Amino acid sequence: MTVIAIVDYDIGNIRSISNSLVAEGVTVLITSDKIKLLSADGVILPGVGSFKHGMDKLRELKLDIVIRDYVKSGKPLLGICLGMQLLFTSSEEFGETEGLNIIHGLVKKLQLNNDEEFKLPHVNWNSIHTASLSWEESILKNITAGSEVYFVHSYAVLPSVDKNILSTTMYSNNQFISAVQRGNVYGCQFHPEKSGTVGLTIMNNFIEICRG
Amino acid sequence: MTKKLKAFYGLPEKVKFCKICVISNQRPSSTIEFKNTAEEKKKVINFDDNGVCSACKYHEEKEMGIDWIARDKKLVELLAKFKSNDGSYDVIVPGSGGKDSAFTAHLLKYKYGMTPLTVTWAPHLYTDIGIQNFHEWMHEGGLDNILYTPNGKLHREMTKNAFHNLLHPFQPFIVGQRIIGPALAKKFGVKLVMYGENQAEYGNAVEENLNPIMNMDFFSSENALNMKFGGISMSEYIANGNYSKGDFLPYIAPNKQDLLDAGIEVHYLGYYVKWDPQECYYYAVDNTGFQANPERTEGTYSKYSSIDDKIDPFHYFTTLIKFGIGRCTYDAAQEVRNDKITRDEAAYLVKKYDVEFPAKYFTEFLSYIDTSEDEFWATVNRHRSPHLWKNIDGQWALRHTVSKDGTDD
Amino acid sequence: MANKRVIARIDVKNEFAIKGIQLEGLRKVGDPNEMAIKYYHEGADEIIFMDAVAAYYDRNSLSELILKATENVFIPITVGGGIRTIQDISSALKSGADKVAINTQATKDPSFITKSASIFGSQCIVGSIEAKKIHNNKWEVFVDNGREPTGIDVIDWVKKLEVLGVGEIILTSIDKEGTKKGFDLDLIKAVSEEIQVPLIVCGGAGNYTHIENVLAQKFVDGIAIASVLHYNLLQINNLKLDLYNKNIKVRI
Repeated sequence: MTVIAIVDYDIGNIRSISNSLVAEGVTVLITSDKIKLLSADGVILPGVGSFKHGMDKLRELKLDIVIRDYVKSGKPLLGICLGMQLLFTSSEEFGETEGLNIIHGLVKKLQLNNDEEFKLPHVNWNSIHTASLSWEESILKNITAGSEVYFVHSYAVLPSVDKNILSTTMYSNNQFISAVQRGNVYGCQFHPEKSGTVGLTIMNNFIEICRG
Repeated sequence: MTKKLKAFYGLPEKVKFCKICVISNQRPSSTIEFKNTAEEKKKVINFDDNGVCSACKYHEEKEMGIDWIARDKKLVELLAKFKSNDGSYDVIVPGSGGKDSAFTAHLLKYKYGMTPLTVTWAPHLYTDIGIQNFHEWMHEGGLDNILYTPNGKLHREMTKNAFHNLLHPFQPFIVGQRIIGPALAKKFGVKLVMYGENQAEYGNAVEENLNPIMNMDFFSSENALNMKFGGISMSEYIANGNYSKGDFLPYIAPNKQDLLDAGIEVHYLGYYVKWDPQECYYYAVDNTGFQANPERTEGTYSKYSSIDDKIDPFHYFTTLIKFGIGRCTYDAAQEVRNDKITRDEAAYLVKKYDVEFPAKYFTEFLSYIDTSEDEFWATVNRHRSPHLWKNIDGQWALRHTVSKDGTDD
Repeated sequence: MANKRVIARIDVKNEFAIKGIQLEGLRKVGDPNEMAIKYYHEGADEIIFMDAVAAYYDRNSLSELILKATENVFIPITVGGGIRTIQDISSALKSGADKVAINTQATKDPSFITKSASIFGSQCIVGSIEAKKIHNNKWEVFVDNGREPTGIDVIDWVKKLEVLGVGEIILTSIDKEGTKKGFDLDLIKAVSEEIQVPLIVCGGAGNYTHIENVLAQKFVDGIAIASVLHYNLLQINNLKLDLYNKNIKVRI
């Protein structure tokens, strides 16, 4: 039995994530319990809303420490949307806020050119493209480059190191980072649990990585 | 020892609500309007031993017991009897361009190939949406129409008298509305008159539904001078010097024998077609340019029913005063029967909207019937039957409601 | 050009999907969960569930439907109708909805939008506007599922909603919705010129041309369609192919 734990810190569409993980031999836990998280085979950090609010909630529940400890184990972690952003060093949303610093880099507001057609938040389906990292051994295995997934955000991550960049996406003629990887830690800016069959494949890939 | 409460209008003393819909046993059946006096004992809807009203029973019958294919065949046979072969009018469809007459006229023309002439007995005071729908009925629906407007001064005076003597301001309208079909059929030499819905759907004697030809007493009369309008006979109006018999022509029903001799038949489309008022709304929007009321109709939750006359809200309001049930009860009961809402939902809606006062056209209505606000309320309060209403510190409240939260429940 | 979104709108009463005309009438058109699954597989970008009778019964009751839908539908779901309190939003999101659409309550208490956006994030908060034309180039905001006028001008209200913190606006033309006779293009033009957040328009789609004309407009980000889908007048996958061939960017 493969146990995947979704961090419950009262933020994020946990139910949909849970529903997208339905598979043979997989148990899904929604929990904020330290023991359960540390002993899981895989952990998902969800999240929507503001960076500061997310970090405050994690710290309140001491989950920031738990997550860092979990990552040290080398087991797979997937951060989704705000969940990915929180993995980073800091965000400029509402002044500077410190993040978990699991992946080096900043979180900054999406750049729009003066084209009124492109609005914030970026709420839309958009395509993901390959960067320098191969998708073969990642959550994006078997995904066709250019596939469309669902985004809803106003901020995006900027990894300090290029080799952490898993996929890029264009918005308002600017490129932003849509997925990251550092070892077994993954992050998607988009919502795979809301991205139809492409998203379900990504979730399945994560399950396979957790099975080990 | 509880004091026995007087019931006006000969209404049943004990108030009951139908177990299936939300109508009460106080609901009056259709009346022969020009015999209507204040002292008259009202016929009401029938409830069976299980507490189910006759409208619901009829509806059950409609769902289970009627072969609608056979009825359609009957309709086709009927229409074949009257169909013209020279393009002349072969059916009169009375109505205002509301959802029911829109449906009836359009269906007869475009599905059954008849040549209808729609005839309209003018509303007292057209609403904007009413007159728009009336025009669209012609322009979008592709139909012919004659609009018949009676002498406005007399009509107003009758309405005023009807309001004060009977608390029934809509009476003059109803008189004309019932007559216009057969009357204009006779004038145009057309033999078939087709109304839409049979009032028996709402609880008039169930036997009426088995016979599509209306009770001719509804619209014919032996001696015109005895006809009463607003509780006052025609001869009295004339004696008071303001009017002559000629002024009453629009209200005088054709002679029964003349109608029979002319071979005129009056039918309800609702006998031949399974009637669903909400579906008539959809049909009318799709085919005759009908639009619902821009906002919720006062006294109810809906927007599609009875929206063309500014007097109409006062018709329903006076019904509430006399019988304890308002417009929402009527709309909700119909929608329960036609499986659009549940009884609980209906009861909730009735509680929310039934006693809402129709403020929008109140000033216009007072002006139309030349009555002050004080006079209005004096008349209204005079007509509240003690068995339905209780006055608590100057506020009137119903003794019995469908939600069982009346003062005496 | 960003993708234009094609959103399936399902109005719900109790356990039935219903479809009215001009937000009136409760004609049953199917099972809402089955319909959501169908539209998801046909390529809908999002689903909107609107509780059509929340205003009548002073309740909102879509939680069970959302729970069921999210088991099989993996695209964003928006829920509207009777969202009145922070608790209502929380329940909707916990059931699996991604966004909530708010209309009536916002007009009664505009600060509700700001409060909700600060707690849940503005990307969750969709401002829903029911617009009724009152005369040339003037529309009024209606509430309670198109039943009650408010006296508020639609253009003023759109700007206010943005300031209050909505993430998106869904704009429904009461006059056109359910008629299948085309969108209210004047309304759309007037609103889209003033708006900075994404705009979804709803009400009147009857055929491909109606939809092409609206989505070709620069400041319209998506459409919500109902009657054309529920009455099987078109299918989303074919619609998207048509749009793609007309150079309107959509997710295929």
